[in-house]
Amino acid sequence: MPGTVPISDGEWPSDTELLRRHVAGDSDAFGELFRRHRDRLWAVALRTVCDPEEAADALQDAMISAFRRAADFRGDSAVTTWLHRIVVNASLDRLRRRAVRPVTSAGDEQALEALLAHDPDPARAADTRLDIDAALRILPPAQRAALVVVDMLGFSVDDAAAILDTSPGTVKSRCARARARLLPHVAHLRGNRSASQRVSPAQGGEA
Amino acid sequence: MSEPKEKMTHPDSEVLAEFRAGLITGRSGARISGHLAACERCAGLSDQLAEISTLLAAVPAPAMPDAVARRLEGVLAAEAANRDSSERAVDPRSPDRATRPRPRRHWDFRLVALRVLAPAAAVVVLAAGGYGLSRIGGSSSTSSQAASSGVASAASQAQRGGAPVPSSAAKSGHEAVPGEAPLTFEVVTSGTSYQRATLRLQLEHELALHARGAAGQQELASASVKGCVLRVTRGVILVLVENAHYQGQPAIVIVAHSGRDDAAWVIAPGCSASSDHVLAETTLPGTSAP
Repeated sequence: MPGTVPISDGEWPSDTELLRRHVAGDSDAFGELFRRHRDRLWAVALRTVCDPEEAADALQDAMISAFRRAADFRGDSAVTTWLHRIVVNASLDRLRRRAVRPVTSAGDEQALEALLAHDPDPARAADTRLDIDAALRILPPAQRAALVVVDMLGFSVDDAAAILDTSPGTVKSRCARARARLLPHVAHLRGNRSASQRVSPAQGGEA
Repeated sequence: MSEPKEKMTHPDSEVLAEFRAGLITGRSGARISGHLAACERCAGLSDQLAEISTLLAAVPAPAMPDAVARRLEGVLAAEAANRDSSERAVDPRSPDRATRPRPRRHWDFRLVALRVLAPAAAVVVLAAGGYGLSRIGGSSSTSSQAASSGVASAASQAQRGGAPVPSSAAKSGHEAVPGEAPLTFEVVTSGTSYQRATLRLQLEHELALHARGAAGQQELASASVKGCVLRVTRGVILVLVENAHYQGQPAIVIVAHSGRDDAAWVIAPGCSASSDHVLAETTLPGTSAP
């Protein structure tokens, strides 16, 4: 059955070794690599595209691509970084394709934001996770991806820059803007309402 | 909010966040730093920004749903199977094959999905009022995304039979189909596990995937599968043939146009031109049409 491949602690081949075996023709190696990281890869896809169906499609695109392009992996980053990068790219591709009109990147982000901004279901307010998921939807995709990779998955800014194919400075900037934007929407989760009322969300917009 | 006599207006949350990220340095940074030391409100805001990261880090990662895991396992298994077969196609007697790590065959129980006919092609045939097995295979444009060198070589082998299969081939379909039969179609591997209660829904989803070219890797069908398909469908226009699971057991799923609707059969494995065991049948309201 999928996902039930026996795993013996301490005897894991490294990710790099699995990838090497895959390139050498081992039919199982890539599947094992996938099972090893699938939940985190799923998390990044799901939170970047904000839709389970789209996330599954994005992840499928990404895994096929990684499977076929494994020989291109040069080892200048960790295998997980490489995998996450492919998943993030596939996720952002999905979002781009879903956008009504692919214009400038700023316009693109606004269109996507409008697409993603629906569904603020108040009944979910009790559940922190759903709340956070909902709040993430208000972010432009590039900011959201940065925040997911850095704050939620815990990658370093440098690794995140490799994953997001941009500079560390841009990663920091996207994360900062994303946090500022989220602030009014998640302040209540920490029981501090006064801040959310005093900070005008409109101020957190485009800069 | 901010009193006019203050030295500095309160920085907005974005400026504070950028400052916290180390993006504002020099004189501007020093000014913000000084302001934070003096302004309780902004210091609180800055703390809250820090707490956002803590809050986000504490949210547990959602586990991949089983259905998604199964689907992706299937896709990867298809990739692996296709890679194996395309290597084989390059040199079927390669001595390398004996020395290559023998894959554990834990995919053997898995269904091999056969996409018999690209839905777009099916529609063309229908519009022409055609009846009978129509062409299938590598010439379909919708399969190009999933096409690989293995599929390409399979398609070139198939060219001997010509892409469009004359309907007479279908009429003679009850005879045993020899290996060189003009009927050729591709086998797509998928990881779908059908359940009785959700059979139609799952089929509709699967057909939508196929219509988008999002299916897995493809291989030519074996002679026995060809025989089985001809036996079961009796020569109607095939939409999809898929070796999948049904109720947890391996099964072959066949979808074909039948009048205005699509008909679907779930067949026990081992089906051939001379025998079949139908596990379930259903109809789909023309879901294969784009």
